[in-house]
Amino acid sequence: MSQGITLAPSRQLKKRYRAEKRFKAYCIAALLLALAFLVVFFSDMIRQGYSAFVQTEIKVDVTYNEDTVKFTNESVTEDVSPLISRAFYRTIPRQVEANPDLMNTTQTRWLTATAHVDQYRKGYSDRLDPELKATLDRLESEGRVSYGFNSGLFFSGDSKIPSNAGLWSAFVGSFYVMIVVLVVSFPIGVATAIYLEEFAPDNRFTQGIEININNLAAVPSILFGLLGLAIFINFFGVPRSSALAGGLTLSLMTLPVIIISTRAALKAVPQNIRQGAQAVGASRWQAIRDHVLPLSLPGILTGTIIGIAQAIGETAPLLLIGMIAYIPDAPTSMTEAATVLPAQIYTWSGMPEGAYVSLTAAGILVLLTLLITLNATAVILRNRFERRW
Amino acid sequence: MRTRDLTGDNTQVVNVPTTERPRVNQNMKMKVHDLEVWYGEKQALHGVSMDVVENEVTALIGPSGCGKSTFLRCLNRMNDLIPDVRIKGEVEFENQNIYAPEVDVVELRSHIGMVFQKPNPFPKSIYDNIAYAPKILGQVRKRTDMEDLVEHSLKRAGLWEEVKDRLQMPGLSLSGGQQQRLCIARAIAVSPSVLLMDEPCSALDPVATATVEQLIDELKENYTIVIVTHNLQQAARVAGYTAFFHLGNIVEYSDTDSLFTHPREKKTEDYITGRYG
Amino acid sequence: METSQVLLVFFGGLVPMAAVAFALGRRKALMSDASGSRMHSLPSQYGVYVATWMALPALAIGVVAAAAALFGLQVPSAPFVLSFALFGAAVGLMLAMRKVEPTLRARNAIEKFVYWTLFSASLVSILTTFGIIISILFEALKFFSQVSVWEFVTGTNWSPVATFRPGQETADSQFGSVPLFAGTFMITLVAMSVAIPVGLLSAIYMSEYASYRVRTLAKPVLEILAGIPTVVYGFFAAITVSPLVVEVADFFGLHASYTNALAPGMVMGIMIIPFISSLSDDVINSIPNSLREGAYALGSTKSETIKQIILPAAFPGIMAASLLGISRALGETMIVVMAAGLRPNLTWNPLEDMTTVTVRIVDALTGDQAFDSPETLAAFALGLVLFVVTLTLNLVSIIIIRKFRQSYE
Repeated sequence: MSQGITLAPSRQLKKRYRAEKRFKAYCIAALLLALAFLVVFFSDMIRQGYSAFVQTEIKVDVTYNEDTVKFTNESVTEDVSPLISRAFYRTIPRQVEANPDLMNTTQTRWLTATAHVDQYRKGYSDRLDPELKATLDRLESEGRVSYGFNSGLFFSGDSKIPSNAGLWSAFVGSFYVMIVVLVVSFPIGVATAIYLEEFAPDNRFTQGIEININNLAAVPSILFGLLGLAIFINFFGVPRSSALAGGLTLSLMTLPVIIISTRAALKAVPQNIRQGAQAVGASRWQAIRDHVLPLSLPGILTGTIIGIAQAIGETAPLLLIGMIAYIPDAPTSMTEAATVLPAQIYTWSGMPEGAYVSLTAAGILVLLTLLITLNATAVILRNRFERRW
Repeated sequence: MRTRDLTGDNTQVVNVPTTERPRVNQNMKMKVHDLEVWYGEKQALHGVSMDVVENEVTALIGPSGCGKSTFLRCLNRMNDLIPDVRIKGEVEFENQNIYAPEVDVVELRSHIGMVFQKPNPFPKSIYDNIAYAPKILGQVRKRTDMEDLVEHSLKRAGLWEEVKDRLQMPGLSLSGGQQQRLCIARAIAVSPSVLLMDEPCSALDPVATATVEQLIDELKENYTIVIVTHNLQQAARVAGYTAFFHLGNIVEYSDTDSLFTHPREKKTEDYITGRYG
Repeated sequence: METSQVLLVFFGGLVPMAAVAFALGRRKALMSDASGSRMHSLPSQYGVYVATWMALPALAIGVVAAAAALFGLQVPSAPFVLSFALFGAAVGLMLAMRKVEPTLRARNAIEKFVYWTLFSASLVSILTTFGIIISILFEALKFFSQVSVWEFVTGTNWSPVATFRPGQETADSQFGSVPLFAGTFMITLVAMSVAIPVGLLSAIYMSEYASYRVRTLAKPVLEILAGIPTVVYGFFAAITVSPLVVEVADFFGLHASYTNALAPGMVMGIMIIPFISSLSDDVINSIPNSLREGAYALGSTKSETIKQIILPAAFPGIMAASLLGISRALGETMIVVMAAGLRPNLTWNPLEDMTTVTVRIVDALTGDQAFDSPETLAAFALGLVLFVVTLTLNLVSIIIIRKFRQSYE
């Protein structure tokens, strides 16, 4: 043809394609970078934390008699005694009290070693008294040293003795806080969402509420802590450090999350469901209660679970209302001083002993497992029950 | 017939089985052979063959869903952008099958421009809307040349007088008809040889429609234009040739006058007399 | 009586009483229906009507008494309040029963009640905002009555002298907040220079390049980053990233502090990536396809279309996302508390230790200082500034997003 157009890429176009490739490579690199971080992060946490799930245990003969009840560390032979965690000696009087038959007997037991010994065996530190090292080597060769599952990590409360410290009181605290958040923010959040989505007139005031909720969702969490401190604790006199104070504070933070996701769930129900119900004589509220709410329930629950998961992971506002107290025993009511999982992690991360580093990482793994389980439940719930219109 | 005598050495006569082709011997700008298109499982075009006459306006008419837009979008491979689309057959342009592997789709589209149903000016100034493509295609490098090109393109699109004082205003600030002419100006700024128009007036009011139609009539001197339209009067007004599509096939294709005054097919007659549609 | 006991008696009594009221109201309606006069609403709706009117006065009395107790007013003894509430319930029940007539539109009354209940729930979010403002404002004002605003805003020396008893001499305390804000902005800057490019480019990849499968896989994985608690990021920044920064700096012959601003900044940036990417993704997806087609039809390549058409069109939305990200970075607490310094330090070098506004707030309020010592009050002043700045950023961003949505609807 006269003009002689060729449709193969020209030189200029080849240059443009190189720019195209470069740009695409940047985009992929960015995404991979973010994903790579996730991999590095999780492997780092596992690397630091896995060892805290097991503890060094030593098989020893424990002697119970008049003397050892008073001078408890004499219950074990003198050379082994410094290898055993102090936490065990404390319990000797209680053991005897609970079981008087123990008196004047010698029992063979697997006992938790001190954090020093544990850290040394796990290779985190090489600072161990040469004498103890020799004893340990001897016991090792006799097969009296091994690793056991660290059940204390889950079933005992906080402790100043690292080998004895656990997450139990934090579990209980987090559970109480979760109950408060659920009881307060779920009904209020769902009611607000129903009002805004189904009843509210489209006026300035309604828009104000909407903007306000969007803003609350982005207000720094620490400011909620200031609110909790000034209003709940100082003004209303809710006990400081209590699960109630923490729960109320976190409820206010969770509210916007629940409102926003409930609104989205309500919006997803097509208009003709409402009109259909109203056409057969249902009132507005009856149409919502009997038709719209059941249909949007999976969405509402998903949003609630995600909100709760966020609240469980939150720390900053709780620092301000004193939920970083040392809580060795789990609280038994909402008004007692309590700690929660992330606060416990924060407390441990500030402890000077090296053993707390792996404990902190182990606590993080437990917390992440909990949160991932919650979020996965939410996602499954959504995928399973969500209806597309 | 409003055709000029273009009979020349390049006369192409292709036997097209399922359809008529224009009787006058003219240069064929594009030749479509046995084009089949599927969207997923659904077949949208059933082996369509049709030649497009150079420097003429060809209108594609037919009821909704007849495949005319699909056909148009195959001519510059816009359908490539849709996931799950499968295309078979040949579209010849400048002696090359545009679906051949060595053809570069970006290069192709710079030669076959397109104007869409809804005016889609970029969220940029009027000036930048037109300067965008020549700049990225590397056609114009000097600023003064660009200014000339913008002026020339706007003049060709009949928009210059209306916007010459506000070239830095956003393209979206123009009225619908002006926006569509801006999109036409934008398309001709890269000097394509074919312009595809997908119902370019359907979103415009009658006055703006008349302006755009007049513009199309002027543009055919330099460009080969294929236009999809719902509006039969529009086809009759602007097109030298008209093809009637039905259910993914071409029912009838001939010069516009014959098609509207002496349709050979019953279906065509039903459609243009409004008994079908 | 214990508070919990009182509550138990109160609600333990109210619930069966409401059930009885429901039954009474329903029965009266049923009887009336049976006797031939047609009731306007369903019998059970009259039941709900009566129960509601019985419960409301009792609840109101309970709430007033509880509020009075919290405000420290003289409150009559618990048995008195309980019996008074019972009396209120009885009056409500009687009046409501009398009103159960065929002409009473019980359903409309319930509807109205539901409306006002839902409406009052929506006020809680407003009250929360007011609560934040009031709780910060009062203490901040107390602070500014002791320290001049000018000194607070322009002073470059922040050295509060801890006071453990109220009213103790505080003359040598200095409250110049500039170094705190400098630290906050430095860390925010580092965070955003990680989050914006990575978040935006990932969003572009997912919305413009990735196949459906990659997108559905990568999106939730990226969202995990947003779900990791900040205390965990803080630990990671302090234990892993900070020492790494020190080592790398050492390698280049630079000195870095173990509480440098770079490590918390980078980790914070990673935390913010999903916020930027998911918001940008939404925005990019809301750009109409006709713009893409228009550009492709002119012979643009994909990246040219993205860079010159899509991104400029999406700019307001991306801007809004970035502002929200900045707001989040400014207010982020745990990462900086755990990994940044405590020393106010006015410097341009992110390898030095710097402290932030949030770190000082936490430090002031978790210490043992008296509650009205200037340092605790200063925490509220810092909180006020933080609130005003983040509020402005949030509002601007919310408004930009609203406008943007409207322009492409």
